Amino acid sequence: MIKFEFVGLRYGVGPEVLSDINFTLEPGSFHFLTGASGAGKTSLLSLMYLGRKPTRGLVSMFGQSINKLERKQLWSLRQRIGVVFQDFRLLPHLSAFDNVALPLRIMGRPEKETRNNVGELLEWVGLGDYKNALPLTLSGGQQQRVAIARAVIGRPKLLLADEPTGNLDDEIGFRLMNLFEQLNRMGTTIVIATHNHAIMEKFGHSRLILEMGGLRVEETRSSLRRKIEGVY
Amino acid sequence: MKIPFRDFFTKDRRLGVAIGRGRYDLPLNKDEGTNFLRLLIALMSFLAAMALVGSFTLDSMTQRWSSGLENKLTIEIPAEKENGDLRNKDDMASLLKQVEAVLRNEPIVKSADVLDDQDIQNLVEPWLGKDAPLQDIPLPGLISVELNSSEPAAMEKMTADIKVVDSGIVIDTHEAWLQSLLKMIGSLRFAAFVVVIIIAATTVTAIAGAIRSRIAVHKADVELLHLMGANDEYIVRQFQRHALTIALQGSLLGTLTAAAVLFTIKLVSGGDTALMLPALSASAVHTVAVAALPLVACGIAALTARFTVLRSLSLMP
Repeated sequence: MIKFEFVGLRYGVGPEVLSDINFTLEPGSFHFLTGASGAGKTSLLSLMYLGRKPTRGLVSMFGQSINKLERKQLWSLRQRIGVVFQDFRLLPHLSAFDNVALPLRIMGRPEKETRNNVGELLEWVGLGDYKNALPLTLSGGQQQRVAIARAVIGRPKLLLADEPTGNLDDEIGFRLMNLFEQLNRMGTTIVIATHNHAIMEKFGHSRLILEMGGLRVEETRSSLRRKIEGVY
Repeated sequence: MKIPFRDFFTKDRRLGVAIGRGRYDLPLNKDEGTNFLRLLIALMSFLAAMALVGSFTLDSMTQRWSSGLENKLTIEIPAEKENGDLRNKDDMASLLKQVEAVLRNEPIVKSADVLDDQDIQNLVEPWLGKDAPLQDIPLPGLISVELNSSEPAAMEKMTADIKVVDSGIVIDTHEAWLQSLLKMIGSLRFAAFVVVIIIAATTVTAIAGAIRSRIAVHKADVELLHLMGANDEYIVRQFQRHALTIALQGSLLGTLTAAAVLFTIKLVSGGDTALMLPALSASAVHTVAVAALPLVACGIAALTARFTVLRSLSLMP
């Protein structure tokens, strides 16, 4: 699914923020990405959602080497990736409904299907009554749920989330984690950047730990058991 | 137990290619500067329409003068003799008759009309007034000649035959002043063409600048659409449609205003041709050309927006 080999990233002429990153994510796997603030979690995620190109190294996604692909070939790959940004990045002039509908409209899905699916998903994340609300009129937690709904509406093959439960109370946080678990059981590979130890302990998936610009993979008992059982 | 939301996630998943729809994801119409751009395009269209009509009018003026003076010449018997004495009426009448007789025998002459006092009165009326005492003013004798052709050898023979009557007789083929007039009109037409080119270049620059500023304002949103997998065409179409709408509104306003102004000018002038100036041209071809201005403006706007946005998007990974 995703393979990074000796990947490095630097901004401009500054020092490398990511250095010699090596890891492989199997299809249908679930990972937490963690590390101290400024360790490069957001930078690594940006490489994974094809928002940047690595300064060096090889990146392979969905079986294709990103280094060799042309710009046009990246469009369809990006449509397979759902992203929950730390700052949500909702379009402020669009309603919650239209924000969530955006990925489906970009994919060119029929409007009727879009309306049904978006309505259903907004109900499920508890925002059924806020369909027409603009993001600025929503609370931080509500905006985050809109952002999560937007990331999952296209049923992505890969879901990347940057601190997705940061602004949510525990109950909603765990509920959304259950949604991610459910998506994962349907075959979506999930990477969640978080500092939340309670969630990492509770769900027990393997951890990608960023330290000093490098990356270390830490398997947990639960993730090893899943590997042995052949879940992925 | 039914797992909530299970049906939604197990539905057939098909990735499609993003296609343009009649809606905007970016609030381009709400941007400041939209009204300014619309007004600018209206003004440019107004100026382009006026320059075009001016060019067409000069064009028809040239054609009218050229065809009106082609194969025509004027023979002038000066009022003064070569020694400075004034000719009396009898002398003038005799010379006119002799020249007329020569002309009758020239094969290239189609017709020759000796201008009488009334014709000359009409010619000098704009300068001297209606009641000028022509009998007190020494006037030349004039013969208006129409030729079958202006073949040089035949022209030379005719000139020589006339000069035999009196060497002071002047044969005016109108060529000299017509040439300089046509040169001047050519310059004016070129100036009108340059004005239209400048207007088009200004419009392209203004639209490109406006689109660039909109991309800068909505950079984060455009990047987001890009990251969600929107292809260039999906994003470009939104800007293109926006530019096209503004250009259509602005150019229609400008062209219709120009049409109204020209109609008023025509109405006020009563459609008369003042001296050498022809009436404002309104042939079918010219009308279609001016009416096509909004379409040209839309084309320029859409293409400018398209290439400006594509260029910006090409800088994204």
